[in-house]
Amino acid sequence: MGIIEKAPLYIEKFPGGSVVTTSLESALNWSRASSQWYLLFGLACCAIEMMATGASRYDFDRLGMFFRASPRQADLMMVCGTVTHKMGKRVKILYDQMAEPKYVLAMGGCATNGGPFYYDCYSVLKGVDKVIPVDVYIPGCPPRPESLLQGCLKMREKIYSQKLKDFASDSKMV
Amino acid sequence: MNKEQIENKITQKFGSAIEIQKTKNPEPFIYVSIEKYIEVCEFLKTDPDMCFEYLFQLGGVHYPDDRFEIALTLSSHKHKHELVLKVKLPHDNPKAPTATTVWEAANWYEREAMELFGIQFEGHPDPRPLLLYDDWNYGYPMRKGWTGPDFIPMPDKTKGGDD
Ligand code: SF4
Repeated sequence: MGIIEKAPLYIEKFPGGSVVTTSLESALNWSRASSQWYLLFGLACCAIEMMATGASRYDFDRLGMFFRASPRQADLMMVCGTVTHKMGKRVKILYDQMAEPKYVLAMGGCATNGGPFYYDCYSVLKGVDKVIPVDVYIPGCPPRPESLLQGCLKMREKIYSQKLKDFASDSKMV
Repeated sequence: MNKEQIENKITQKFGSAIEIQKTKNPEPFIYVSIEKYIEVCEFLKTDPDMCFEYLFQLGGVHYPDDRFEIALTLSSHKHKHELVLKVKLPHDNPKAPTATTVWEAANWYEREAMELFGIQFEGHPDPRPLLLYDDWNYGYPMRKGWTGPDFIPMPDKTKGGDD
Protein backbone atom coordinates (compact mmCIF):
# COMPACT_ATOMS: atom_id res chain seq x y z
CA MET A 1 0.00 0.00 0.00
CA GLY A 2 1.06 3.48 -0.77
CA ILE A 3 2.66 6.42 0.99
CA ILE A 4 -0.68 7.62 2.28
CA GLU A 5 -0.87 4.68 4.67
CA LYS A 6 2.71 4.89 5.87
CA ALA A 7 3.01 8.66 6.17
CA PRO A 8 0.83 9.25 9.27
CA LEU A 9 3.01 6.97 11.34
CA TYR A 10 5.93 9.32 10.77
CA ILE A 11 4.05 12.61 10.73
CA GLU A 12 2.53 11.96 14.13
CA LYS A 13 6.01 12.06 15.70
CA PHE A 14 6.39 15.75 14.90
CA PRO A 15 4.86 18.40 17.13
CA GLY A 16 1.40 19.25 15.80
CA GLY A 17 1.56 16.34 13.43
CA SER A 18 -1.63 14.76 14.70
CA VAL A 19 -3.56 17.78 13.45
CA VAL A 20 -2.40 16.90 9.97
CA THR A 21 -3.29 13.23 10.31
CA THR A 22 -6.77 13.86 11.68
CA SER A 23 -7.61 16.33 8.90
CA LEU A 24 -6.21 13.93 6.33
CA GLU A 25 -8.18 11.17 7.96
CA SER A 26 -11.47 13.01 7.82
CA ALA A 27 -10.85 14.08 4.23
CA LEU A 28 -10.12 10.52 3.20
CA ASN A 29 -13.04 9.07 5.13
CA TRP A 30 -15.38 11.66 3.67
CA SER A 31 -14.32 10.81 0.15
CA ARG A 32 -14.50 7.09 0.77
CA ALA A 33 -17.90 7.20 2.40
CA SER A 34 -19.47 9.55 -0.12
CA SER A 35 -18.66 7.64 -3.25
CA GLN A 36 -19.15 4.00 -2.61
CA TRP A 37 -19.41 2.50 -6.03
CA TYR A 38 -20.78 -0.94 -5.63
CA LEU A 39 -20.16 -4.08 -7.59
CA LEU A 40 -23.28 -5.16 -9.38
CA PHE A 41 -23.94 -8.48 -7.82
CA GLY A 42 -27.29 -10.22 -7.96
CA LEU A 43 -27.27 -13.86 -6.97
CA ALA A 44 -30.91 -14.55 -6.13
CA CYS A 45 -34.19 -12.95 -5.13
CA CYS A 46 -32.56 -10.33 -2.86
CA ALA A 47 -31.12 -8.76 -6.00
CA ILE A 48 -34.62 -7.64 -6.94
CA GLU A 49 -34.80 -5.53 -3.78
CA MET A 50 -31.32 -4.20 -4.49
CA MET A 51 -32.47 -3.16 -7.98
CA ALA A 52 -35.54 -1.54 -6.47
CA THR A 53 -33.28 0.36 -4.09
CA GLY A 54 -31.10 1.45 -6.95
CA ALA A 55 -34.06 2.66 -8.97
CA SER A 56 -35.65 6.06 -8.69
CA ARG A 57 -38.13 5.38 -5.88
CA TYR A 58 -35.48 4.72 -3.21
CA ASP A 59 -32.47 5.94 -5.15
CA PHE A 60 -28.96 4.89 -4.25
CA ASP A 61 -27.56 7.78 -6.27
CA ARG A 62 -28.30 10.29 -3.55
CA LEU A 63 -25.77 8.45 -1.34
CA GLY A 64 -23.22 8.70 -4.13
CA MET A 65 -23.57 5.02 -4.92
CA PHE A 66 -23.46 3.85 -8.50
CA PHE A 67 -23.13 0.35 -9.73
CA ARG A 68 -19.99 -0.73 -11.48
CA ALA A 69 -19.89 -3.87 -13.55
CA SER A 70 -16.19 -4.40 -12.94
CA PRO A 71 -14.52 -5.28 -9.63
CA ARG A 72 -11.57 -3.03 -10.51
CA GLN A 73 -13.74 0.07 -10.20
CA ALA A 74 -15.81 -1.00 -7.21
CA ASP A 75 -15.35 -0.07 -3.55
CA LEU A 76 -18.25 -1.95 -2.08
CA MET A 77 -19.36 -5.48 -2.72
CA MET A 78 -23.02 -6.05 -2.00
CA VAL A 79 -23.66 -9.75 -1.81
CA CYS A 80 -27.36 -9.91 -2.57
CA GLY A 81 -28.63 -13.44 -2.56
CA THR A 82 -27.86 -17.08 -2.12
CA VAL A 83 -24.17 -17.94 -2.32
CA THR A 84 -23.72 -21.53 -3.43
CA HIS A 85 -20.49 -23.42 -2.96
CA LYS A 86 -19.91 -23.11 -6.67
CA MET A 87 -20.42 -19.35 -6.60
CA GLY A 88 -18.42 -18.96 -3.37
CA LYS A 89 -15.18 -19.48 -5.23
CA ARG A 90 -16.13 -16.87 -7.81
CA VAL A 91 -17.10 -14.40 -5.08
CA LYS A 92 -13.65 -14.86 -3.55
CA ILE A 93 -11.97 -14.19 -6.90
CA LEU A 94 -14.03 -11.03 -7.42
CA TYR A 95 -13.25 -9.85 -3.91
CA ASP A 96 -9.54 -10.37 -4.50
CA GLN A 97 -9.74 -8.33 -7.70
CA MET A 98 -11.23 -5.29 -5.97
CA ALA A 99 -8.87 -2.47 -5.09
CA GLU A 100 -8.29 -1.44 -1.48
CA PRO A 101 -10.07 -0.04 0.48
CA LYS A 102 -12.92 -2.46 -0.06
CA TYR A 103 -16.04 -3.15 1.93
CA VAL A 104 -18.53 -5.99 1.91
CA LEU A 105 -22.21 -5.81 2.72
CA ALA A 106 -24.07 -9.11 3.13
CA MET A 107 -27.70 -8.63 2.28
CA GLY A 108 -30.41 -11.05 3.35
CA GLY A 109 -30.55 -14.25 5.32
CA CYS A 110 -28.82 -16.27 2.62
CA ALA A 111 -25.67 -14.19 2.46
CA THR A 112 -25.63 -13.82 6.25
CA ASN A 113 -25.83 -17.46 7.29
CA GLY A 114 -27.54 -19.55 4.62
CA GLY A 115 -31.02 -18.35 5.55
CA PRO A 116 -33.81 -20.64 4.40
CA PHE A 117 -31.21 -23.03 3.01
CA TYR A 118 -29.47 -23.61 6.34
CA TYR A 119 -30.86 -27.09 6.96
CA ASP A 120 -30.86 -30.06 4.60
CA CYS A 121 -29.01 -28.36 1.81
CA TYR A 122 -26.02 -29.65 -0.07
CA SER A 123 -25.28 -26.70 -2.29
CA VAL A 124 -25.49 -23.47 -0.31
CA LEU A 125 -22.64 -21.85 1.56
CA LYS A 126 -23.66 -21.11 5.16
CA GLY A 127 -22.96 -17.41 4.91
CA VAL A 128 -20.65 -15.49 2.64
CA ASP A 129 -18.41 -14.74 5.64
CA LYS A 130 -17.03 -18.25 5.20
CA VAL A 131 -15.07 -17.00 2.18
CA ILE A 132 -14.69 -13.20 2.53
CA PRO A 133 -14.75 -10.75 5.47
CA VAL A 134 -18.08 -8.96 5.87
CA ASP A 135 -18.56 -5.45 7.29
CA VAL A 136 -22.32 -5.10 7.56
CA TYR A 137 -25.00 -7.77 7.75
CA ILE A 138 -28.60 -7.03 6.85
CA PRO A 139 -31.17 -9.56 8.05
CA GLY A 140 -34.41 -10.23 6.24
CA CYS A 141 -35.75 -12.42 3.50
CA PRO A 142 -35.56 -10.24 1.50
CA PRO A 143 -34.74 -7.03 3.42
CA ARG A 144 -36.87 -4.14 2.34
CA PRO A 145 -35.13 -1.26 0.53
CA GLU A 146 -35.33 0.74 3.76
CA SER A 147 -33.25 -1.88 5.55
CA LEU A 148 -30.76 -1.93 2.72
CA LEU A 149 -30.46 1.83 2.88
CA GLN A 150 -29.98 1.64 6.62
CA GLY A 151 -27.25 -0.93 6.05
CA CYS A 152 -25.55 1.49 3.67
CA LEU A 153 -25.79 4.25 6.28
CA LYS A 154 -24.23 1.90 8.86
CA MET A 155 -21.48 1.29 6.36
CA ARG A 156 -20.89 5.04 6.10
CA GLU A 157 -20.73 5.29 9.89
CA LYS A 158 -18.18 2.55 9.91
CA ILE A 159 -16.09 4.25 7.27
CA TYR A 160 -16.23 7.58 9.12
CA SER A 161 -14.90 5.89 12.25
CA GLN A 162 -11.83 4.53 10.46
CA LYS A 163 -8.39 5.63 11.57
CA LEU A 164 -5.53 6.06 9.17
CA LYS A 165 -3.46 3.81 11.35
CA ASP A 166 -5.88 0.93 10.75
CA PHE A 167 -4.66 0.90 7.19
CA ALA A 168 -0.94 1.02 7.95
CA SER A 169 0.22 -2.27 6.63
CA ASP A 170 3.42 -2.39 8.69
CA SER A 171 3.01 -0.47 11.94
CA LYS A 172 6.04 -2.18 13.47
CA MET A 173 8.28 0.15 11.48
CA VAL A 174 7.76 2.99 13.94
CA MET B 1 -58.07 -36.99 -25.78
CA ASN B 2 -59.19 -37.16 -22.21
CA LYS B 3 -57.64 -39.18 -19.42
CA GLU B 4 -59.56 -42.44 -19.97
CA GLN B 5 -59.01 -42.45 -23.71
CA ILE B 6 -55.25 -42.05 -23.33
CA GLU B 7 -55.10 -44.75 -20.68
CA ASN B 8 -57.15 -47.17 -22.77
CA LYS B 9 -55.19 -46.60 -25.92
CA ILE B 10 -51.82 -47.20 -24.24
CA THR B 11 -53.06 -50.26 -22.40
CA GLN B 12 -54.44 -51.72 -25.61
CA LYS B 13 -51.18 -51.19 -27.41
CA PHE B 14 -48.69 -52.34 -24.76
CA GLY B 15 -50.75 -54.53 -22.45
CA SER B 16 -48.84 -55.90 -19.50
CA ALA B 17 -45.93 -53.45 -19.81
CA ILE B 18 -48.27 -50.68 -18.67
CA GLU B 19 -49.58 -50.06 -15.20
CA ILE B 20 -52.05 -47.26 -14.57
CA GLN B 21 -51.65 -45.36 -11.33
CA LYS B 22 -54.95 -44.17 -9.87
CA THR B 23 -54.80 -40.47 -9.01
CA LYS B 24 -57.19 -37.57 -8.74
CA ASN B 25 -55.12 -35.51 -11.14
CA PRO B 26 -56.56 -34.51 -14.51
CA GLU B 27 -53.66 -36.07 -16.42
CA PRO B 28 -52.97 -39.84 -16.55
CA PHE B 29 -50.11 -41.30 -14.47
CA ILE B 30 -48.63 -44.30 -16.19
CA TYR B 31 -45.95 -46.75 -15.08
CA VAL B 32 -44.08 -48.47 -17.86
CA SER B 33 -41.70 -51.38 -17.50
CA ILE B 34 -38.11 -50.55 -18.27
CA GLU B 35 -37.88 -52.93 -21.24
CA LYS B 36 -40.61 -51.10 -23.14
CA TYR B 37 -39.64 -47.60 -21.97
CA ILE B 38 -38.14 -46.22 -25.18
CA GLU B 39 -40.68 -47.98 -27.34
CA VAL B 40 -43.51 -46.36 -25.39
CA CYS B 41 -41.79 -42.99 -25.62
CA GLU B 42 -41.53 -43.26 -29.39
CA PHE B 43 -45.17 -44.28 -29.62
CA LEU B 44 -46.25 -41.35 -27.44
CA LYS B 45 -44.34 -38.90 -29.57
CA THR B 46 -45.25 -40.15 -33.03
CA ASP B 47 -48.77 -41.47 -32.72
CA PRO B 48 -51.14 -38.90 -34.26
CA ASP B 49 -53.65 -39.22 -31.42
CA MET B 50 -51.02 -38.79 -28.72
CA CYS B 51 -48.53 -36.42 -30.31
CA PHE B 52 -46.59 -35.70 -27.09
CA GLU B 53 -43.89 -33.73 -28.83
CA TYR B 54 -42.89 -31.66 -25.82
CA LEU B 55 -40.93 -33.03 -22.87
CA PHE B 56 -41.83 -30.84 -19.93
CA GLN B 57 -39.38 -32.33 -17.47
CA LEU B 58 -37.56 -35.49 -16.57
CA GLY B 59 -36.55 -36.10 -13.00
CA GLY B 60 -35.13 -38.78 -10.79
CA VAL B 61 -36.92 -39.85 -7.61
CA HIS B 62 -35.47 -41.68 -4.62
CA TYR B 63 -38.07 -43.03 -2.20
CA PRO B 64 -37.32 -43.61 1.49
CA ASP B 65 -37.60 -47.38 0.99
CA ASP B 66 -34.67 -47.19 -1.44
CA ARG B 67 -36.53 -47.40 -4.73
CA PHE B 68 -35.49 -45.36 -7.73
CA GLU B 69 -37.79 -44.03 -10.38
CA ILE B 70 -37.66 -41.56 -13.20
CA ALA B 71 -40.67 -39.45 -13.99
CA LEU B 72 -41.33 -37.67 -17.27
CA THR B 73 -43.98 -35.05 -17.79
CA LEU B 74 -45.08 -34.80 -21.40
CA SER B 75 -47.41 -32.41 -23.07
CA SER B 76 -48.84 -31.91 -26.50
CA HIS B 77 -49.23 -28.52 -28.11
CA LYS B 78 -51.54 -29.97 -30.69
CA HIS B 79 -54.06 -31.79 -28.50
CA LYS B 80 -53.47 -29.78 -25.32
CA HIS B 81 -53.18 -32.79 -23.08
CA GLU B 82 -50.55 -33.93 -20.62
CA LEU B 83 -49.22 -37.20 -19.33
CA VAL B 84 -46.90 -38.37 -16.57
CA LEU B 85 -44.77 -41.35 -17.45
CA LYS B 86 -42.88 -43.19 -14.71
CA VAL B 87 -40.31 -45.95 -14.84
CA LYS B 88 -39.27 -48.13 -11.91
CA LEU B 89 -35.54 -48.76 -11.89
CA PRO B 90 -33.50 -51.63 -10.42
CA HIS B 91 -32.58 -51.08 -6.74
CA ASP B 92 -28.88 -51.73 -6.55
CA ASN B 93 -27.72 -50.22 -9.82
CA PRO B 94 -30.27 -47.70 -11.11
CA LYS B 95 -29.94 -47.59 -14.86
CA ALA B 96 -32.19 -46.60 -17.73
CA PRO B 97 -31.87 -46.18 -21.48
CA THR B 98 -31.57 -42.56 -22.57
CA ALA B 99 -34.60 -40.70 -23.84
CA THR B 100 -32.48 -38.22 -25.82
CA THR B 101 -33.09 -40.38 -28.89
CA VAL B 102 -36.76 -39.38 -28.68
CA TRP B 103 -36.69 -35.89 -27.15
CA GLU B 104 -33.48 -33.86 -27.43
CA ALA B 105 -34.62 -31.89 -24.39
CA ALA B 106 -33.92 -34.89 -22.16
CA ASN B 107 -30.19 -34.23 -22.44
CA TRP B 108 -29.73 -31.83 -19.53
CA TYR B 109 -32.45 -33.41 -17.39
CA GLU B 110 -30.68 -36.73 -17.63
CA ARG B 111 -27.34 -35.17 -16.84
CA GLU B 112 -28.92 -33.63 -13.76
CA ALA B 113 -30.46 -36.93 -12.62
CA MET B 114 -27.17 -38.69 -13.30
CA GLU B 115 -25.31 -36.26 -11.11
CA LEU B 116 -27.78 -35.78 -8.27
CA PHE B 117 -29.27 -39.28 -7.99
CA GLY B 118 -26.60 -41.49 -9.54
CA ILE B 119 -29.00 -42.88 -12.13
CA GLN B 120 -27.09 -44.01 -15.19
CA PHE B 121 -28.54 -43.32 -18.63
CA GLU B 122 -27.12 -45.68 -21.18
CA GLY B 123 -26.27 -44.20 -24.54
CA HIS B 124 -26.37 -40.59 -23.34
CA PRO B 125 -24.49 -38.46 -25.88
CA ASP B 126 -22.77 -36.18 -23.34
CA PRO B 127 -22.66 -37.66 -19.81
CA ARG B 128 -20.70 -34.87 -18.10
CA PRO B 129 -21.68 -33.41 -14.71
CA LEU B 130 -23.96 -30.43 -15.06
CA LEU B 131 -24.61 -28.53 -11.83
CA LEU B 132 -22.24 -29.42 -9.00
CA TYR B 133 -18.88 -27.76 -8.65
CA ASP B 134 -15.84 -29.09 -10.41
CA ASP B 135 -14.04 -30.98 -7.65
CA TRP B 136 -17.19 -32.52 -6.20
CA ASN B 137 -16.61 -36.05 -4.96
CA TYR B 138 -19.12 -36.48 -2.17
CA GLY B 139 -21.52 -38.81 -3.91
CA TYR B 140 -25.08 -38.16 -4.99
CA PRO B 141 -26.61 -35.40 -2.86
CA MET B 142 -30.30 -35.97 -3.59
CA ARG B 143 -30.29 -39.53 -2.30
CA LYS B 144 -31.96 -40.11 1.04
CA GLY B 145 -29.58 -40.17 3.97
CA TRP B 146 -26.84 -38.32 2.12
CA THR B 147 -24.45 -36.26 4.20
CA GLY B 148 -21.50 -34.25 3.08
CA PRO B 149 -19.35 -31.26 3.91
CA ASP B 150 -21.21 -28.39 5.58
CA PHE B 151 -24.44 -30.38 5.66
CA ILE B 152 -26.74 -29.69 8.61
CA PRO B 153 -29.75 -32.02 8.86
CA MET B 154 -33.09 -30.58 9.90
CA PRO B 155 -33.55 -31.02 13.67
CA ASP B 156 -36.52 -33.15 14.68
CA LYS B 157 -39.15 -30.60 15.70
CA THR B 158 -41.42 -33.26 17.24
CA LYS B 159 -38.84 -33.98 19.94
CA GLY B 160 -38.66 -30.34 21.00
CA GLY B 161 -35.39 -28.51 21.38
CA ASP B 162 -33.96 -25.07 21.40
CA ASP B 163 -33.88 -24.35 17.67
S1 SF4 C 1 -32.54 -14.10 1.91
FE1 SF4 C 1 -34.52 -14.72 1.07
S2 SF4 C 1 -34.95 -13.17 -0.50
FE2 SF4 C 1 -32.76 -13.06 -0.06
S3 SF4 C 1 -31.77 -14.41 -1.54
FE3 SF4 C 1 -32.17 -15.62 0.30
S4 SF4 C 1 -34.14 -16.59 -0.09
FE4 SF4 C 1 -33.96 -14.90 -1.53
